[in-house]
Amino acid sequence: MAHSTQGIATHESKTVTRVFITIALGYLLLFLGLPLFAVFYQALSKGWDLYYAALLEPDAWSAIKLTFIAAAIAVPCNLVFGIAAAWSIAKFDFKGKSMLITLIDLPFAVSPVVSGLVYVLLFGAQGWFGPWLQEHDLKLIFAVPGIVLATIFVTFPFIARELIPLMQAQGKDEEEAAVSLGASGWQTFSRVTLPNIKWGLLYGVILCNARAMGEFGAVSVVSGHIRGMTNTMPLHVEILYNEYNFVAAFTIASLLALLALVTLLVKSVVEWQAIRSGAAIRSLI
Amino acid sequence: MSIIIENISKHFGNFKALDNINLEVGSGELLALLGPSGCGKTSLLRIIGGLELPDTGKLLFHGEDVKSRDACNRNVGFVFQHYALFRHMSVFENVAFGLRVKPKHIRYKEAEIKRRVHELLELVQLDWLADRFPAQLSGGQRQRIALARALAVEPKILLLDEPFGALDAQVRKELRRWLRRLHDELHITSIFVTHDQEEALEVSDRVVVMNKGRIEQVGTPDEVYAQPATPFVYQFIGNVNLFHSRDHAPWTQQLDDAIAYVRPHDIDISVSAQDETSLPVVVNLVRAIGAIVRVEVEIDGSHELIEIELSRERFDAAPLACGDRVYIRPRQFRVFQKEETDELPAT
Repeated sequence: MAHSTQGIATHESKTVTRVFITIALGYLLLFLGLPLFAVFYQALSKGWDLYYAALLEPDAWSAIKLTFIAAAIAVPCNLVFGIAAAWSIAKFDFKGKSMLITLIDLPFAVSPVVSGLVYVLLFGAQGWFGPWLQEHDLKLIFAVPGIVLATIFVTFPFIARELIPLMQAQGKDEEEAAVSLGASGWQTFSRVTLPNIKWGLLYGVILCNARAMGEFGAVSVVSGHIRGMTNTMPLHVEILYNEYNFVAAFTIASLLALLALVTLLVKSVVEWQAIRSGAAIRSLI
Repeated sequence: MSIIIENISKHFGNFKALDNINLEVGSGELLALLGPSGCGKTSLLRIIGGLELPDTGKLLFHGEDVKSRDACNRNVGFVFQHYALFRHMSVFENVAFGLRVKPKHIRYKEAEIKRRVHELLELVQLDWLADRFPAQLSGGQRQRIALARALAVEPKILLLDEPFGALDAQVRKELRRWLRRLHDELHITSIFVTHDQEEALEVSDRVVVMNKGRIEQVGTPDEVYAQPATPFVYQFIGNVNLFHSRDHAPWTQQLDDAIAYVRPHDIDISVSAQDETSLPVVVNLVRAIGAIVRVEVEIDGSHELIEIELSRERFDAAPLACGDRVYIRPRQFRVFQKEETDELPAT
């Protein structure tokens, strides 16, 4: 039989299929593949030596470090918040539950620049808590803590959003079973809840991390762009580009692109693993 | 262990799930909570298990108040309606769970845990499934594993929520008998919730019939079937025909607003009128279902349908066909005043 089952099911001629595949792939290549290639091409246009030099330049190196520090603080914070929020939303009924769900989406809905501005308004020198912070010699805005705060704000829906539908679908039967068998609260969480949500959790962490490293708008407002001090990688790219230092700009950009590619790879592996471990269950239920 | 429930009430928002429940369960008894969905039977079970807190009232296990004790300290085995097996654990680990989460100083050694789990798996006749995962089991197997898991912690009380609800008819019948035998071996005080009257009557020592958060009747299976205390119990357990005093005064034997309840198998059919209570009817439908024959008749001059059940022998002795004109007469019935019957569910 020459026909594939898909061909029979949709009754499309081979030409139509080919046209659509060509359009999809061409579009992908034009808008995603080409820019990605351009980033690496530009970064390496003057050879590997300049590439390494741009990476190891102190300001670049400090931007890389700051990006990782911000992500390393923001992701665990949102991990704890995400699990707590998803747990309370999925397993309990309380007043203001729908309000909480809506609020969690706020960072998705609002422009990152606005969220950055809010922090300046709250903690800046002229802000609500500004005088109090100055009295106690604390500096949030135009400093690392501000960048971390802005990053947390922008990335906090990712993990919670991933877990809420998952935990709602799983219900609380297994937790109740564990409790009735004598398990304490912590035993119930670590032995029953956590293993059930681990793939969704990992997926959320990966997305949260990707966004934390790539965030530009909110961080840009609170950072103050002090070279070697409060510049993250995306901000550093912009500065270098504005200085017509294309090789250095694209070098840092290529590093960000590389991080994104690694993220996508890890994400695919996690999805594949989750499907594999879930497939046996779904096929039988 | 005996259970005493005193004046327990429970609200969910404005909905009254349980309304002043009083009940005593004897030690070693197998009790069925029977009622339609939403009658509060599962809420009562969850309150006994500590998964829900009552608004008011007392709960005593063996004379001791346990209302403030958490579910994990009540030593109650709970079998959930959809089994709630831990999906990421093997059958062995599921059953071992209750033993593994015990505080360190009273936890058994690994070898002892192994021995106990295999003993329980043998008890439910599924030792050969120890390494499988819940998703790889059939419904009946999951049910038995859930039971083994609940029994692992050596509970003094076993609670089962619709234990056979999600199984097909054949497996359900088998498991029912098996549960009854198991209870006769272990003698754990057990309460199970069901909406299936046949299940309740066949398995339990006593049946508690519930409706709208109240207990309608407590009694042996025979009592609730043969002597229903309320119109609701009459309608819920077994089939029943209703005869209103307005139209059938001789049946209700009184003239005020009353209704006679007659079981389908308590009606006699004859070709001629026996006395003034005989009612002329036309046979509408005849259906032989196994050992019984179900006959539907229509009362002359009205469209009221009455269901009658005959044994195969009786039917063969006096066969009926559609369109036959015959007389019916109640052998046994019970009359309730109209006010008592107001709160009946639609049947």
